[in-house]
Amino acid sequence: MFKLKTSIKKEFLILLNDKVGLSIMFGLPIVLVFLMTIIQDSAYKIVNENKVKILISNQDKGTLGTKFIHLIEDSKSFEIELDNQLSLIATNRELLKRDKLIALYIPEVFSASMEEKANYISKKMLVDLGLASDTITDKLSKTEITFFHDPILQDNYASSIMGLISTFLGSIEQNLMVERVYHQMGFENPKNLEHTILENRTKITKIASSTSNKVPNPNSTQHNVPAWTIFAMFFMVLSLGSNITQEKNSGSFIRLKTIPTHYSMILISKMLVYIFAALLQVIIIFSIGKFIFPYIGLPDLEMPTHFGAFVLIVVLSSIAAVSYAVMIGSISKTPEQNNGIGSISVMIFAALGGIWVPLFALPDYMVFISNFSPMRWCLEGFYLLFLSDNGLKELTGVVISIIIFIIVCQVITFGKLKHEKLI
Amino acid sequence: MSSNICIEIHELSKKYKNATHNSLNKVNINIKAGDKFGVIGPNGAGKTTLISIICGIIPGSSGNVNFLQTENIKQQLGFVPQDYAFYPQLTPVQNFEYFGALYNLNKKNISDRIDNLLPILGLEKVANKKINTFSGGMKRRVNLGIGIFHEPSILLLDEPTVGVDVQSKNAIMKLLHELNKNGTTIIYSSHHLSEAEEFCNTIALIDHGEIIANDSTSVLLKTYHSKNLQSLFIQLTGTEYRDV
Repeated sequence: MFKLKTSIKKEFLILLNDKVGLSIMFGLPIVLVFLMTIIQDSAYKIVNENKVKILISNQDKGTLGTKFIHLIEDSKSFEIELDNQLSLIATNRELLKRDKLIALYIPEVFSASMEEKANYISKKMLVDLGLASDTITDKLSKTEITFFHDPILQDNYASSIMGLISTFLGSIEQNLMVERVYHQMGFENPKNLEHTILENRTKITKIASSTSNKVPNPNSTQHNVPAWTIFAMFFMVLSLGSNITQEKNSGSFIRLKTIPTHYSMILISKMLVYIFAALLQVIIIFSIGKFIFPYIGLPDLEMPTHFGAFVLIVVLSSIAAVSYAVMIGSISKTPEQNNGIGSISVMIFAALGGIWVPLFALPDYMVFISNFSPMRWCLEGFYLLFLSDNGLKELTGVVISIIIFIIVCQVITFGKLKHEKLI
Repeated sequence: MSSNICIEIHELSKKYKNATHNSLNKVNINIKAGDKFGVIGPNGAGKTTLISIICGIIPGSSGNVNFLQTENIKQQLGFVPQDYAFYPQLTPVQNFEYFGALYNLNKKNISDRIDNLLPILGLEKVANKKINTFSGGMKRRVNLGIGIFHEPSILLLDEPTVGVDVQSKNAIMKLLHELNKNGTTIIYSSHHLSEAEEFCNTIALIDHGEIIANDSTSVLLKTYHSKNLQSLFIQLTGTEYRDV
């Protein structure tokens, strides 16, 4: 035990002396987690929280244009700026100038053409039903609203907004149509018809999926804090890997072979120190997410309810990162080689594993390739806890994947050191 | 076989993977307890291979090395490699503590030995300074200090004085004499022939992996009518370069 304690102390002292390694292990992820959360927070807010900023120019001579705008306003999904002085071309230009995502141009003939269409269809309906005998000769002009959007807006997001606006138009058309049918049949328009139609529409209930009662709240903090902590853990390859290659090159390994101590004890002490460092990274970065982010206007980190499962994922991710660093350190011949292989491979793992870009933004074949990134399994473990509030049972697949990765790294390390007759 | 032989090397051969020749070829040596045994030879002759096999760093291809008077050989063996084999980011004290613990010494023993060794090695003033700020001579003394820290009964040294100043060399050689006087068997490999001649009582001259002469230094000089070890060395190994 005294041997192990002394060995841990020596590794700890070496780590403390590695100023560059420490700054990479702790400074870099802190900077990254701040930067990436702030940058991504606005993007998440656009999708999740903020109202869509919309510029509307209403040139309609009738009343339907105003009614249409009221419906948009009542949806509470939009922040409307109304400027009826804008022409079609000016509306397009002003969208970007006024920092809007969407602009709508309602033409002069909006009400007239809507009414014309309602007249035409209601008349046609009555003729088809044999309730009227007029011939339909009217030539129908098309109703058109121009929809402008910021070019950075994703197509699917722009389409969703267009779909929402179409439902408002559909609602106006529907009311107008019913009203005209009553009118053509010589009846008075029933009172509150519009209200009745609106109130009795089929509602859609929106619930975010979760296996527990807790409602998950995906935001930039919930993604970036675990993501960059995992990145920091794996980036330890620079410090720990260099430590091993330097030791191999310094001749210390040779001396160690002549000493009555098994190398596995030395390797275990290295791993314990770096696992401790990884746990410290988790404590620091998660504390920043929990206690500092709210003070700078970022969402605070909501901790998962299954604390045991959280600890398991943290510990397994730490062991996986440390095992990877030990493996790279063992197969590298020099610290420079270790740093090259280590940093590039960690960057690739991060890109594939959804650290930089969420997996849903990647094409299918890249999502398949991402299965080979250990960072993906670790991140998935954190997602299951932080976004879906799952427990141990749901983590089984992720836990098995990480354990297999750890075993593979350890076997390769053992094989390499054995081949080099270092153990 | 003499009763005071502590290491018996019998028909020891070593061929490295993909090598065309044996690095060691049927080497037979007996080393007596308390000897100051010098292994000398040109570059690539097989000195480091021989020392590495004795230490257990690499295995021989055939033959064997027997330690006749020692059990738990790793505990009794001290090794001072040619390369610096310590942690330069740490202080001498931290290195001694670490290697002392690996040699199964307890906290009290380690502390006592540090107190004894630092003045002998001339490192008291820099005991708590990081080694990466040290001169070559100081680093060599730390390297030696770690090798002798657990008071081994057999000490193997591979070029222990290479690249050091005269004062450090003198201190190291003085310490080795002292250790030998106290019963430590010393196996010493060096390029410094005058140093080896002065220090060693027995010499094994190795060339092309074979022992070409092995006896007490005085007997060898007498047998080959050589005035010193250097002329004996040239006489037996020739003048051709060995490192081209």
